[in-house]
Amino acid sequence: MATERRMVSGRGCVSMFLAMFCLFSSGTCDEQVPLVLWTSEGSGLLSLAGPAAGHIVGVSQLGSYLENALNSAPHNILLFLQDKMSVEDFTMYGGAFGNKQDSAFPNLERALLSSPSPFVLPAVAWPASSTVIGQLQDQLDTSPLYMDPETLSQLRLNGSTPALLVFRLPYSTGADVMSAKEVLRGNDEVIGQVISIMKSQSVPYTAIYTAIRPSREASSSISVEAGVGGGRSLLQYADKRRERERQRERERQEKKVQERAGVYPPVDFKEGGASCILLWAENLTVSVLRGGRWERHDLTSLTFGEGVTPRLQGSRCNQSHSSLVLNYENILGHRSFRLVFAMSQRHYKVSARRWFTLDAVEIEYDGQKATFNGSRNVYAPLEYSYRCQSVTNFRYPLLVPRTSKDPANQWRVSFTDFQIQGFSVSGGEFSYASDCAGFFSPGIWMGLMTSLLMVLVLTYGLHMIMQLHTMDRFDDPKGPAISVPQTD
Amino acid sequence: MYLLILQFSDKFFYSSTACTVLSRTLMHPTHADNYENVSIIFILHWWCFSGICYTIFDLGFRFDVAWFLTETSPFMWANLGIGLAISLSVVGAAWGIYITGSSIIGGGVKAPRIKTKNLVSIIFCEAVAIYGIIMAIVISNMAENFSGTTPETIGARNYQAGYSMFGAGLTVGFSNLFCGICVGIVGSGAALADAQNGSLFVKILIVEIFGSAIGLFGVIVAILQTSKVKMGD
Repeated sequence: MATERRMVSGRGCVSMFLAMFCLFSSGTCDEQVPLVLWTSEGSGLLSLAGPAAGHIVGVSQLGSYLENALNSAPHNILLFLQDKMSVEDFTMYGGAFGNKQDSAFPNLERALLSSPSPFVLPAVAWPASSTVIGQLQDQLDTSPLYMDPETLSQLRLNGSTPALLVFRLPYSTGADVMSAKEVLRGNDEVIGQVISIMKSQSVPYTAIYTAIRPSREASSSISVEAGVGGGRSLLQYADKRRERERQRERERQEKKVQERAGVYPPVDFKEGGASCILLWAENLTVSVLRGGRWERHDLTSLTFGEGVTPRLQGSRCNQSHSSLVLNYENILGHRSFRLVFAMSQRHYKVSARRWFTLDAVEIEYDGQKATFNGSRNVYAPLEYSYRCQSVTNFRYPLLVPRTSKDPANQWRVSFTDFQIQGFSVSGGEFSYASDCAGFFSPGIWMGLMTSLLMVLVLTYGLHMIMQLHTMDRFDDPKGPAISVPQTD
Repeated sequence: MYLLILQFSDKFFYSSTACTVLSRTLMHPTHADNYENVSIIFILHWWCFSGICYTIFDLGFRFDVAWFLTETSPFMWANLGIGLAISLSVVGAAWGIYITGSSIIGGGVKAPRIKTKNLVSIIFCEAVAIYGIIMAIVISNMAENFSGTTPETIGARNYQAGYSMFGAGLTVGFSNLFCGICVGIVGSGAALADAQNGSLFVKILIVEIFGSAIGLFGVIVAILQTSKVKMGD
C-alpha cells in the first residue's frame, strides 16, 4: 500500500491500477465488485487514503469514501453502472499480460491516465455495491437520471448544480469467451463517447465505473477458463472455504458424468477383504421357452446399478478356480434362481502363458441346472479381464449348451457390454480389457489377402509391360526411309 | 518363408529384427524398380513396427495364427487354389512362348527351314498351360457346399479340403510357371542353334524334354494332394 501512495501520478496510475488488480487476483475476490472513480479536474482525491490491501469495503465505509470524495470533486457525477463486474474481467480482457493492444478498455485507461486524481476501490462487498446509486442520491440530494450517450449530448449541464447521470451498461457471459470481451469493449466505447461529450461541453465531472453485482463466483473462477489470467491455481493459497467449494464442484462434475453414461461399479466379490471377482454388464436378461413362447426377465436392475448389492452367497475364489454366484428370488416363476459363473485358469504350453476361461455359465432354478459352455470363446490372459459387447447363446453365440439334451436348450441368456475378471484383480478395478473383437475381422483378413494377391500380380505385370521397349538398334534418323518391296 | 516361421512363435522381437534385416537384403537394386522398392519397404517396415508394438505392450497373444486359419473360410482357400493353378500355369506358358516365338521368328528370317521343326518347342510350352487348366477343372470339381458357419460346425474335413485345394493349386501353378519359362528359354536357344546348324536341333530337344518333365511332376503331386479331398456336409 505504501507503493500505492507513492505512485499516485498520471503515468504510474494505470500500472498501479493493473498491478493492484493482479495482486488482488491472488487474494480473496469472490463476490466483490471493483469501483473506479476519477475526476476531470481538481486533485482533491489525492488526499483520500485508499483501503488496506485485501480489505473488503462495506456499505458504511463506501458511504464515507464517497462523501469524502464528493467534498472535493465536481458535483456532476457520471455513474457507469454495469450489470456485473469482477476483477477477473480486467485481468482477462484488459491486456494485463503485456498484450496491451488486445485490451478491451482503451478509453477507460486513457481517462484514468489523463485524470488528475483517480481512485480505485478494488473490492467493494457485493451487497454494498448495489447501494451506490442510493448513497450518491442521498449525498447529492438529486434523483438519478438514466441516460445514454445520445440523450447526454442533448443535455445542457453546468458546473454549479449537482447532477447524477447513470449509464446502465450490459454484461453477458455467452457460451464463448469472445462475447464477454465484445460486450466490455462496447461498454468502453460508451464511456469514451460520454467523456468526449463532456469534454466538448467543458463541464467538470466525476466519473464512477462500477457494477451492481459481481460477474464471477469463487468456484466457477477456478474451473473453466484456462486462458490468459483466467487460471489462478498457481497463485492461490490454500483456503478452507475454497477447498470445500472445489470439492463440491468436483463431486458435481462426477455426478454429471455418472448420470450421463450410466456408470456404476461392478459386482464385486471380496475374499478376505480384497476384491477377487469382478463382473459388469450394461444389460442382463434371461428368457425361458414355455409353451412355445419365450418369456423374458430383465435382471439388470437386480444386479447392477448405483447402490444395488446382489447376494453373492456360494461364490468362492482360489488360485486356480473362481466361481461367482448371483442369487435371486422369484424369477420367471422359480422360487430360487441362481446364476453361476465358473472360471478356471491354467498354463498353456504353446503360447507359454497362463490363460483363464469362463468354463460354464449355469442357471440353477428350483433344483435343476442349465449349463452353457463358454470356454471355447470366452478366454483372456490371466492378467487381463475379458470384455465383449454381446455375450449370448442365441445371437452370434459365445455360450453353447453343454449337450443337446441339456435344459439349457430351453433357456436364453444375454449380456450387453459384458466384462468379467476372475483372477489377478487388484485395487478393486478391472485390469486391461482383452476385447473379444480384434482389430481385423476374418472377413477383413480374407479381403486383404485376396486383394493384396491381386495387387501383387498387377504390380508384377505392370513391371513387365513397362520394360518392353520398341527396338531402336537399327534406327537411323538420318538414313533413308524403309521401303517394303511389293514382290515376294 | 523364413519370416512366416518366425512369426509363428511368440518371440516377436526376433521376428521384428529379422523383418528389418530381411527387408534390407531384399532391397537388391537389380531386382525391382524404384516404385516397387518403395512399396516393399513401406510394407515391411509397417510389419516391423507393428510387431515391435505388439511385443512392447505385451499384446503378442493377439497375433493368433490359429484364429486366422480357423476363422477364414475354406471356400476362400479352395478358390484361391483353383485360380492360382490356372493363372500361374498360363503365365509360365505365355512367357515361354513369348521367348521361343520371338527367337523362331527372328531366326526364320535368315533360315526359313527352322520354322516347322521348332514348333515342337511351342507345343512343349503349351502343354504346361494344358496341365494347368486340367488341374484347375479337377480341383474345382471337388469344391462342394457345406452348411457350417463356426469352426466346430464346419468340421475338420472341410478345412482339410480347403487347404489341400489351395496347396494343390499352388503346387501345380508354380511348377508350371517355372517349367514354362525353362522350356521357353531352351526352345529359343534351340531355334537359334538350328538356324546356324541344322544337326543341332535333335539333341537340344532332349534338354527340352527334361524341362517339360518338371511340369508333369507338379501335376502328379497336385493330384496326390487332392486325392483325399471330400468337401461338403
